[in-house]
Amino acid sequence: MASYQTVPCVNINDEFVDVVSIDVKPGQYVNSGDIVATVETDKSMIDVVAEQDGYVLRIDAIEKEKARVGSVLFWLGESADEPIPDQKQESVAPDGISLQPTAKARALLKKLGLDSAGIPASGDRLSVADIEAWLARSGKSITPAAGATPVARQEQMPAVNGELVALSSEAAGMLHAVSWHRDHAAAGYIEMEYDPKPWEDYAAAYAAEHKLMLSPLLPLMAFRLAQLGRERPAINSTIVNGQRYQYQPVNLGFTVQAGTMLYLTVVRDTQDMDTAQFISALGEIQRHAMGHKLPPQEASGATLSFSSMARWNVSRHIPILPPQTSLIVAHAAPKNAGHAVLAASYDHRVLTGFDVAQVLQALSQPPK
Amino acid sequence: MSLNPDDIKAALRAKVIELAEPLGMDASGVTDDDILPATGFLDSGAILELVVWFEATYDIRIKQEEMNIDNLGSINAMTDFLLARKQG
Repeated sequence: MASYQTVPCVNINDEFVDVVSIDVKPGQYVNSGDIVATVETDKSMIDVVAEQDGYVLRIDAIEKEKARVGSVLFWLGESADEPIPDQKQESVAPDGISLQPTAKARALLKKLGLDSAGIPASGDRLSVADIEAWLARSGKSITPAAGATPVARQEQMPAVNGELVALSSEAAGMLHAVSWHRDHAAAGYIEMEYDPKPWEDYAAAYAAEHKLMLSPLLPLMAFRLAQLGRERPAINSTIVNGQRYQYQPVNLGFTVQAGTMLYLTVVRDTQDMDTAQFISALGEIQRHAMGHKLPPQEASGATLSFSSMARWNVSRHIPILPPQTSLIVAHAAPKNAGHAVLAASYDHRVLTGFDVAQVLQALSQPPK
Repeated sequence: MSLNPDDIKAALRAKVIELAEPLGMDASGVTDDDILPATGFLDSGAILELVVWFEATYDIRIKQEEMNIDNLGSINAMTDFLLARKQG
């Protein structure tokens, strides 16, 4: 039976999004996870991916125009000529007059900044349960790093007076990452001290040879991690529905603090790069982050990540796993300590402590 | 922004001092000839912030391969680079 996918909620207070592009055509077959469209608000831009395999039957959203959150974006079917049911039948009364959602549903819609259009009702009137079911479904349509906000779980309002404040897209992304870490990963943490001098000497020699202005130490370490991702595929994978999902590319996530913003920037397809290409690509992406002009492809899709807080002189930090990854390495180099620290948060569903210790051991030394 | 060399250098000095502060460094003694990466006032992240600010403030685009000590290593070098770019 034909099914539809709705326009995703990008920021909780935005009722509409701009449809930047529609990347599929009617009749086209798409696989689950394929990018089908790009939408944006004034705060962020995200790729919308297909939630399931199928033929595109019809596209209801219009490119370069606004679309209401929750409205039908496109229809999918098992065959290219499958009929599309009249979706409106689900929430329209027999006499053709639309019935209002229940009072509680209206309150929830208002709170979430949503419209009832496109949210199917299971009964005569749209209910809270219908909305929660729809939210659970539509949350899957946003790529993980783009900031899908888990709003289906209702929390009790605090007893002390206050007001709800909308999250920025970056804060929503952080909430999504933390929620995935909490709800899906079986997170473990390991750290080890290492002698930083061999890496520092290696980076200094590389900088001198290539006349670099910026220390390449962290990019070189991140590139070494990307190489380890090729040598040890399990660290470049995740768990999906009880099976290990092995990523083909090694997309290296690298945290960048830009003012008060923390970005997880992403260098894609590092398996096709040499050291110089990686350092150049990362440098370019870091500059985009510093200017708060990261395009979506440079802020999503990490499969393996590296984070350093050496510049803040911390002795330890336990990073949150980016969604659908199994490893993020944390680097710290407290001043005057005589040692540095390599650590990792990892998903114990995929990796053992022994696996991670081996990775950290390998990463603690520069390439020969 | 003014393209008077003294004004450019003053703006750069102020930005270096500003970026050094969150790192716990007092860069008020920075000179125009100091090689910035070697002073220890700024780490790589802060230098990158300085370059991004420099591009935005003076409306220039610096290619990745132009980011080297010769072009951007000191306040004097950055000033010369900017003026050459604007005159070119």
